[in-house]
Amino acid sequence: MCLGIPMQIIGIDGYNARASAKGVERDISLFMLQDELPAIGDFVIVHVGYAIQRISEDDARQSWELFDQILAESDA
Amino acid sequence: MPRSARDWLDLIRALPLREPVRIMNVCGGHERSITTAGLRGVLPPQIELIPGPGCPVCVCPEEAIYAAIQHGLRDGAIVVAYGDMLRVPVNVPKDEARSLEQARALGADIRPIASPLEAARIARDNPERQVVFLAAGFETTTAPLAALLQEGAPDNLLLVMAGRLTWPAVAMLLDSEQPGFDALIAPGHVSAVMGSDEWRFVPEKHGLPAAVAGFSPESLLAAFYAVIRQTLDGEADLTNCYPEVVRPQGNPAARRLLEASFAIGDAPWRGVGSIPASGYHLKGALRRHDAREQLPDHGAEQRRRAGEMPPGCDCARVVLGKIPPTACKLYGNPCTPRSPIGPCMVSDEGACRIWWSAGTR
Repeated sequence: MCLGIPMQIIGIDGYNARASAKGVERDISLFMLQDELPAIGDFVIVHVGYAIQRISEDDARQSWELFDQILAESDA
Repeated sequence: MPRSARDWLDLIRALPLREPVRIMNVCGGHERSITTAGLRGVLPPQIELIPGPGCPVCVCPEEAIYAAIQHGLRDGAIVVAYGDMLRVPVNVPKDEARSLEQARALGADIRPIASPLEAARIARDNPERQVVFLAAGFETTTAPLAALLQEGAPDNLLLVMAGRLTWPAVAMLLDSEQPGFDALIAPGHVSAVMGSDEWRFVPEKHGLPAAVAGFSPESLLAAFYAVIRQTLDGEADLTNCYPEVVRPQGNPAARRLLEASFAIGDAPWRGVGSIPASGYHLKGALRRHDAREQLPDHGAEQRRRAGEMPPGCDCARVVLGKIPPTACKLYGNPCTPRSPIGPCMVSDEGACRIWWSAGTR
């Protein structure tokens, strides 16, 4: 429940956005980032469907590697 | 120049640490990273890493889960909850539904969701029915719910509120006679929302070293290094080892949304009891979404063992960091992720499940 996942924004319509992480796309809300709305191409940490904070591309890629490792272990 | 995990490990090993240091984390994500990366096995033996209150599913009130089950079985409501919650057992006689999953098998309309947005969509798609959302979670999960409520939720969406604040549980431990830890790793994403300053009370009021960490081994090791350095220097402070995401004041918009939606009050934690100022309660006009006001409670609080962990399950002491998962006499036999007895073995954020999945026996 509590896992924050970095995603890249690929489309924006008001506070609703389309975001992608490693080929998986989701609709997310930008409502919690209303003070500093991100732009298409930016990376955000998504928590239960809501972007909670922006993140750099480097940090996003590092986190994806970490999740791959955790998922590999969970499947084992 | 960012340092690698190896660099941080070398720095930690070079510290002149003689006394034992117990470092508590309060985040299931931290515990998972620590366990997955095998950090316990590579740190000097004086350093003990303790999983603390970091699993919202584990402390979700048993009464709230019972009420949600009954709303599904007896009130004909659609019940939605995060997937983890569906298998958490409540204390009922053998012939009754012990979990939302069992209620679904008995015909109740129970649906797992991954976002409050899905709860709202299900409510909009079913305007003639009541949709009950069992809203468990810490600040990171409750803030999105606040966003949904402030953006406008359908009137037929009712909430069983079980949202909790993390820091009051740490404050309760620190105010007790035996906190059981010497330094704190503060949660990364809770701090991203609420701000790192929220944890200043740990060094300033209690004199304990603290550091905010992200979820990579590098960030966690940096945080361990920070709190051990503080320990050796005799100067407790708060170090932010996740500055790329965590600001001192957090996410101001998220905090405004929480403030507008919820009043903070005393609240029960399963197996632990009431913790002062640790619960989010709907406030003002939003109370029209409160399932407790709109639906019967079905005697949730009057049952035998209401609010307790399942019989024999030591999850409450695991959650508080008083014992490691392996010290519970049910751990591994008969309690496993496949047939869990207590919530710590159900949830992906529960220390028992994390340790078991990583092969700790």
